Amino acid sequence: MRRIEIILSRLLWLIPTLVGLVVVVFFIANVVPTDPARIIAGENATTEQVEALRAELGFDRPLWEQLGIYVRDLATGNMGRSLYTQRPIADDLAHRLPATLELTFAAIIIAIGLGIPLGVVSAVKRNSLTDQVLRVLSVSGLAIASFWLAMELQMLFSTRWGLTPLNGRISGFGPDEITGFFVLDSLLTWDMESLGGALLHLLLPAVTLALPAAATILRFTRAGVLEVINSNFVLYETAMGLPRGLIIWKYVLRNALISTVTQIGLIFGVLFSGAVVVEAVFDWPGLGTYAVQSILQSDNKAILGFTILVGVVFIVVNLIVDILHTFIDPRTLK
Amino acid sequence: MRGLPLALVAAALAFTGAAGPAAADRYVHANNSAYDTLDPHVVGDVARVATRLNFYDGLYRWVDNPPQLIPWLATSHTVSDDGLVWTFSLRDDVPFHDGSLMTAEDVVWSVERMLALKRGASTLFLPVLDPGATKALDDTTVEFTLKTPSAIFGSIVSDIYVMNSDLVKENEVDGDWGQAWLTDHVAGSGSYMLDRYDPAVGFIGERFEDHFAGWGESYYDEIEFRTVLETNTRVQGLMRGDYQGLDGYLAPDQIARLRDSDNVQIIEQESMRVFHFAMNNRRPPFDDVNFRKAMAHAFDYEGFIGSILQDSVVRNPTIIPNNMWGAPKDVEGYTFDLEKAKEYLDKVEGPIRTIHIGTLAGFSETEQAASLLQNALAKIGVTAEIESAPWPVVNSRMQDPEQMYDMVPYWKSTYYADPNNWIGELYGARYIPTRNVSGYDNPEVNARLEKALVSTDQAERQTLYEEAARIVYDDAAGIWIYNTKWYGPYSTEAAGIRFSPVGNAQDMRWAHPAD
Repeated sequence: MRRIEIILSRLLWLIPTLVGLVVVVFFIANVVPTDPARIIAGENATTEQVEALRAELGFDRPLWEQLGIYVRDLATGNMGRSLYTQRPIADDLAHRLPATLELTFAAIIIAIGLGIPLGVVSAVKRNSLTDQVLRVLSVSGLAIASFWLAMELQMLFSTRWGLTPLNGRISGFGPDEITGFFVLDSLLTWDMESLGGALLHLLLPAVTLALPAAATILRFTRAGVLEVINSNFVLYETAMGLPRGLIIWKYVLRNALISTVTQIGLIFGVLFSGAVVVEAVFDWPGLGTYAVQSILQSDNKAILGFTILVGVVFIVVNLIVDILHTFIDPRTLK
Repeated sequence: MRGLPLALVAAALAFTGAAGPAAADRYVHANNSAYDTLDPHVVGDVARVATRLNFYDGLYRWVDNPPQLIPWLATSHTVSDDGLVWTFSLRDDVPFHDGSLMTAEDVVWSVERMLALKRGASTLFLPVLDPGATKALDDTTVEFTLKTPSAIFGSIVSDIYVMNSDLVKENEVDGDWGQAWLTDHVAGSGSYMLDRYDPAVGFIGERFEDHFAGWGESYYDEIEFRTVLETNTRVQGLMRGDYQGLDGYLAPDQIARLRDSDNVQIIEQESMRVFHFAMNNRRPPFDDVNFRKAMAHAFDYEGFIGSILQDSVVRNPTIIPNNMWGAPKDVEGYTFDLEKAKEYLDKVEGPIRTIHIGTLAGFSETEQAASLLQNALAKIGVTAEIESAPWPVVNSRMQDPEQMYDMVPYWKSTYYADPNNWIGELYGARYIPTRNVSGYDNPEVNARLEKALVSTDQAERQTLYEEAARIVYDDAAGIWIYNTKWYGPYSTEAAGIRFSPVGNAQDMRWAHPAD
């Protein structure tokens, strides 16, 4: 019952959080001194043409009224049309969302695959040379600028060695669309050529995105393991003669992962929004490139749509982490 | 764990040749701008011209450099004595992609659609052509009755992209002129038919074998235009052979890098894209010709062109491109001379305040030009502040006389090859405040520009534009710096690239694999 109460309370908080997000983002987007009517009308439009278009599209109305219309439309899933392309923004975001999610999932899998084992090794071999090297690497992973790393990986793997594609999500266009996730769609349609292409294209951007996240996970795992490894139950299990590997990888890790899981949830949100830079360098046709284009074109409505979507993802991921916590650590129910 | 990435690469390579180059009969172009709509009537920018030129046809077409207007859907035209009625004869053998034949009704419907949407190229037509003023006299004759005579009308009909009106009407929703459908569908007669389209990626076009203009012996069967935002990625992709062509206005260091590659050829042409500073002539102290002349003498033309741009452009002393008729050939241009600038500054009657220069974020040349001027001005006691913003923000402010910066460095591209595209639009009073953002209003210049706009005598028009350009030059209404050179980066396996300043070589019907 307590768990349901917590979930319901979190869900209720979603409403004011989302409303606050929309209002704040809407006003910030309208602070930028751009004239949307002029952007739509084009560079060569006369003042009369711009004024006619402004009235037609409602940009001459007070900002509060425009906000009311926007919220009303948003409630029905209508985010308006891009000022620049005239395409429905919700359609554009929905079309690009699988690309960004696929990249983010791949990155988080790599980050977990690297971060947790290395974190455990670092803790177990505390203050050894291995630990020192891993700690330096984790600090470097956090410090390296992702655009620089992306270009270096491109130079080495694509240009010099010719092992991976330079950019894009796949050569040409993707497999027959079912979910929009190329790896999944390739498997569902058993299109092995597309699967190979999708994995190969995914590799460099996912690694670029994953490394800082892996460094964070490594540090949290190390700290968690160090905290647990000196517990009485570990001493007891050791005294009972249980193998060292079993104690570390099963019992210690399980108890040490509580804070890491919270971090993974937060990292997912950071990776999702952080994909902007990586997508731009690798020409990955996801939400990041959409955001970059929208910013360069001062397409306020598209920026608004992107920001709200990222905000919603953050909120939902936090909600899921909160719920997961109640399962991993039942003490939070008290 | 260390072996995992390489194992994945090996496994993926076993399945696909994804990292390899494109096939020889396929042309792949990487562009820095998104192909986010296929509707030719809602966009008019140069960056997205490939969809218009390859999927659609206009009445006439611009080719080559200097640009030549050649008959296309229309074979000829006549103009009434009063310059108001333009009658075009159309070809009777133009199939759309679905096989139906184009008629004058399609032209009329396309013009009405363009005017109704009030976007893209419509802004060129609306000042002279009202909705309902275009008539189909028969299947192959279309007549335009203009509001006022316009000598440039013939130059802009290339922007009337004709649609298969029956097909679009079938896909109209709530009287939207087929806007929703045409965003990702094509209803044209152009050289290529739409094969695949993804607004996040680009498009693939398949050769339209029945195109009315026919095909030569060699051509590309398939063209692909992809959006690749990052310059470094585009450059590396061309060198690797992933792409056969890129956009042609890259920075000098990237061009130098490409020149070193054995796989790449650079096609060099003087374009018609003038880089200049617009000056707000309305606001003191810029309303004083002495102050404007001081500004003109405070810019280091040689330093900018020679050192910063490594002589990759050509000095252009007036607003009309050197290679355009109507450009006065005897004008040498202002020189960088701080002594002279100081002399002019001393003659300024009013107070001299801090000036504000707006630059285009992401376009480093505008920032470099502004910084260069700022440094020189500091030496003669004038303080300049630089504000950088994205082009739409700068453009919005430029077109509002209240918010216009004191100076803005930017390029004037070729929308149609006529001197009016430059001097008319930038210094003619009829274009204040939209295109004439400097607010320059000189009755002597206006008289010449207006006369040139209605005259049908080419020699007279040339003289009028030359005279107007000299007056504008003497008034130092702006700072005119250079005419851009187009460095088309292409694979050595591509041939037949035909550059025109109007279409920037993206009309792919002329291109073909090298022998």
